[in-house]
Amino acid sequence: MSLDLQAVATGLPALWLAQGFLTSLAVTVIGAAVAFLLGGLLLALRLTPWRAASGFATAAIEVIRNTPLLVQLLFWYFAVYRLLPDTVRSWIGQDHGFGRLPQGPSLLSAEFLVAAFGLGVFFSAYIAEELRSGLAAVPEGQAEAARALGFSPLAGLLYIRLPQALANAWQPMIGQTLNILKNSTLASGIGLAETAYQVRQIESYNAHALEAFAVGTLFYLASGFGLARVLARLAPRNPGGGR
Amino acid sequence: MALDPGVILNNLDYLLWGRAPEGEIGGLLLSVIMALWAGVLSILIGAPLGVAGWLHPTLARRLLFPLADIIRAVPLLFLIFWFYFLIPLLVGGTAPGAVMVVVALTAFNTASVMYLVVAGFRALPAGQSEAAHALGFTPGQIVRRILAPQALPNILPSALGLGVMLIKDTSLAFIVNVPELTTVAGQVNGRLQVYPAEIFLTVGALYFLVCGALALLAGRFNRKRGVRR
Repeated sequence: MSLDLQAVATGLPALWLAQGFLTSLAVTVIGAAVAFLLGGLLLALRLTPWRAASGFATAAIEVIRNTPLLVQLLFWYFAVYRLLPDTVRSWIGQDHGFGRLPQGPSLLSAEFLVAAFGLGVFFSAYIAEELRSGLAAVPEGQAEAARALGFSPLAGLLYIRLPQALANAWQPMIGQTLNILKNSTLASGIGLAETAYQVRQIESYNAHALEAFAVGTLFYLASGFGLARVLARLAPRNPGGGR
Repeated sequence: MALDPGVILNNLDYLLWGRAPEGEIGGLLLSVIMALWAGVLSILIGAPLGVAGWLHPTLARRLLFPLADIIRAVPLLFLIFWFYFLIPLLVGGTAPGAVMVVVALTAFNTASVMYLVVAGFRALPAGQSEAAHALGFTPGQIVRRILAPQALPNILPSALGLGVMLIKDTSLAFIVNVPELTTVAGQVNGRLQVYPAEIFLTVGALYFLVCGALALLAGRFNRKRGVRR
């Protein structure tokens, strides 16, 4: 058994892999953006004094976390996406020239949009929980001190507690971002031509499965490592001066 | 969007146990069986590794943790791909797809179990093992009689959380076409075409029942622990 890297480093397989890598990275970045937006929203809902809103957020988080991502992706793709008006779907299906990465894969396709949205929804529940534990770890005295200094409860939350919560939750949230990268492989289940999809395509094209798996695996190890480094560098310093 | 419950009633048995009457177990039953196998195997392998890692911090730092980190840094789907490729080479024949998926799930989960056990043992006060040592317990006895019984209640909620992850991760078998719940749901959806909402909502509900029950149990244990402290 020998490794023939030429089989995946030239011709069509090389192009496919490059497209797969770009698509994986793009769906991870956009999925993470959706996850952080919706995660912040879920946390905000949980923190409202309004019972119905916080109850909804709690229920949504439980449902999202206790069903598989792949089933959620299939649900969004097969059941929800087709509820969009025909005009919208046919517009998404057209070739626009824009929304295309240099190597060709389109960011404006049903598969890409559903994958980014589905990943975002799934991980928003985890982001919300990480932020909530980050908030719970802020010492009680911080809220009391804010109140004593004349901050309203909302201002105390926004300017005193949340920045510290963000610093506390940063490391776990890096972990969740890496999970988004790894779990973007599941989007191959709805036909998104990301890395896992392309690796299988190479396997059936020239049977060089070993090389394709190896290159794909290295891609995830390297990009995960790089992503973690970048995000760690962006870490906010705890404004409370705590650990 | 009007939902048609008839579709689900007609296909519920197939979703629950696949073609079990014909001898081919599938559906939710296969999902649970695969998760149980992977869970038991990863405890049997991961727990002793965790104890070894606790006893020998150098071994843990140099070998066990880096290995576990690599396994957990690779997408689970790629682990499944690797085992699909490697196992036939190693055993010289093909193995059923469900077995490959169980092996990949086990590899992934073993790493988590090992970390959990090391953390559980490290969280115990050092005085516990020192006192036992002073009383003449052997290292094996210290682990079995003194540390394990104390660490277990702390580990249990997280272990149940790993169980939830295992159940959810069995759905990846869809991509390699092993007929567990998600795969049979995809088959039913492909056959009927026009009832995706009914099918995937039902399947989601089935997963939610199993995972939610485990999560609830984990919450119970966590609260019980909180009260005792």
